Amino acid sequence: MASYAVRVKRDIARWVERGLVAPDLAQVLADDIDAHQRKSISFGAILAILAALLFAASLLIFVAANWEAMPRLWRVGLVFAALAAGYVGGAILKQRGHPAFAEALWLIGAAGFGGAIALIGQMYHLSGDEAQAILVWCGGTALAAIALRSGPLTAGAVVLADAWLAMLGLEFWASTPFPYGFAAVALVLWAISYWTDSKVARHLILLSVDFYLVLLAIEVNMFVVSVLLAIAAAAMFAFAVMRPADAERIARLDGRLPLHGLIGFLTGMTLLQFGMIDEVGALVAAAAVSFVGIAAALYSGGRDSRAVRWVAYLGFGCQLVFTYVVTLGTMLGTAGFFLLGSVTLAVLAWVIIRIERRVAEAAAPEGAKA
Amino acid sequence: MRANRLLIAAIALSLVQIGFLTWMIAGRAAILRNGTEVLLRIRPIDPRDLLRGDYVVLSYDITQIPVSLIGNVPQDMTETEEGPIYVRLAKGADNHFTAVAASLGAPPSAPAASGEVDIRGYLSSGWSLARDAVVNPDYGIERFYLPEGEGLAIQNDIRERPFSMRVAVAKDGAAQIKALLDGDTVLFEEPLY
Repeated sequence: MASYAVRVKRDIARWVERGLVAPDLAQVLADDIDAHQRKSISFGAILAILAALLFAASLLIFVAANWEAMPRLWRVGLVFAALAAGYVGGAILKQRGHPAFAEALWLIGAAGFGGAIALIGQMYHLSGDEAQAILVWCGGTALAAIALRSGPLTAGAVVLADAWLAMLGLEFWASTPFPYGFAAVALVLWAISYWTDSKVARHLILLSVDFYLVLLAIEVNMFVVSVLLAIAAAAMFAFAVMRPADAERIARLDGRLPLHGLIGFLTGMTLLQFGMIDEVGALVAAAAVSFVGIAAALYSGGRDSRAVRWVAYLGFGCQLVFTYVVTLGTMLGTAGFFLLGSVTLAVLAWVIIRIERRVAEAAAPEGAKA
Repeated sequence: MRANRLLIAAIALSLVQIGFLTWMIAGRAAILRNGTEVLLRIRPIDPRDLLRGDYVVLSYDITQIPVSLIGNVPQDMTETEEGPIYVRLAKGADNHFTAVAASLGAPPSAPAASGEVDIRGYLSSGWSLARDAVVNPDYGIERFYLPEGEGLAIQNDIRERPFSMRVAVAKDGAAQIKALLDGDTVLFEEPLY
């Protein structure tokens, strides 16, 4: 399949031929396409990053094997060499105009830093704080992202912060302290993501914050946290839909902020309902709020974003099943469940088909006019 | 010029990170070199770490500290708060060190007699501080990494015979594993680096 840029250029050439577009305007358009084209991630770049991740994994496993045939200091030196070669080699490649390979090498450098921390832990039999080791690794990776102005490293730091959060936050039974610090870490990484211009990192951070708030709700107070999350997410959605230009200036997510608003809202509403699973009246009220919210999201933001529509459908279906299971599930048997399941799916299919058709019809005349 | 700045940033970054890692190594080596040696009796638990290969999880006799040994439990405190605990060790008849006193937050106020060593552990929150209770501090030496494949053998032996650990303790109480002993035989001795 021809890429978007190729197809648009073909269209522009045809418009010039038919006299619809002046040749100099066509040149301006083509230049603009080229300028934005380079930012998109190519298949080759993805392969380069994958290669780097594989190499990084081999480095970490090499450390894990605790290979006695090579003296320790040699192993330390080798990992240090990988670290420095990754960072400096990447910088050289960037200068020579190979940004994809540069990013890949930088990832190897950051993996070298993490591998060295693990190696030192092994050399001196350090026990205990794995979570803290991951946090230090995250800090080193964030520092590298700032120094090298690298988007992939920023995303890598976010993933490491998530690993840290999961390690501490998921141990409900152990008496590890709750990682409240994640909020600060997320804020710092968000700031870094502007400097490194990494949309991927910002998307990951917004999803991680949802995850953090779920853990926080379980740790602190289900009701308060989930209600605040749902309200804040709904407000974010409304802001992003009503003032798209302002929202884009702040979040810089290519107009995808409403999607995160909806995901946050659904997360909050789900948590809220899990928190009051024994009070049927309140549960039905919450489910009603959730349905209204989904409908409002579809109505106001669904037309412009297929992702918003599909998350809304998914949320709608889950909400329906959840409400059914909790309120009626005990009264009816398995047959009743399947019957209601089939009705639910049929209703959902009907709603989706209707909405998708209306969106397509709304888009078609506009396209014809343009 | 702009391009050179990137190269300089990359070199500086490498130096900062390698410097940090070297500092970590130097700190550990300093404990090994200068710390006071104590011999501790081991009780085994169980092995394995995905990222870092084979290790055995260890517990020591001093992992069980009776609350009655802690000299400074406040009257109104019924459970531990998270934080350090200092345990004073003295050499027993069989050359192994055992706990003779403990103190929450800071080393015991009475100065250590000659031959006694204060080791620093960490307590999580929620241990009962009733007089007849026992708390389990972590000393950061609860793990011993082995070359790949040797974990299980050691782990089985450790269940049958008393093993011991020679540990170096720094002035501030930080502990660092020095050697693993099977009876009187040294199985693994740790070099400085």
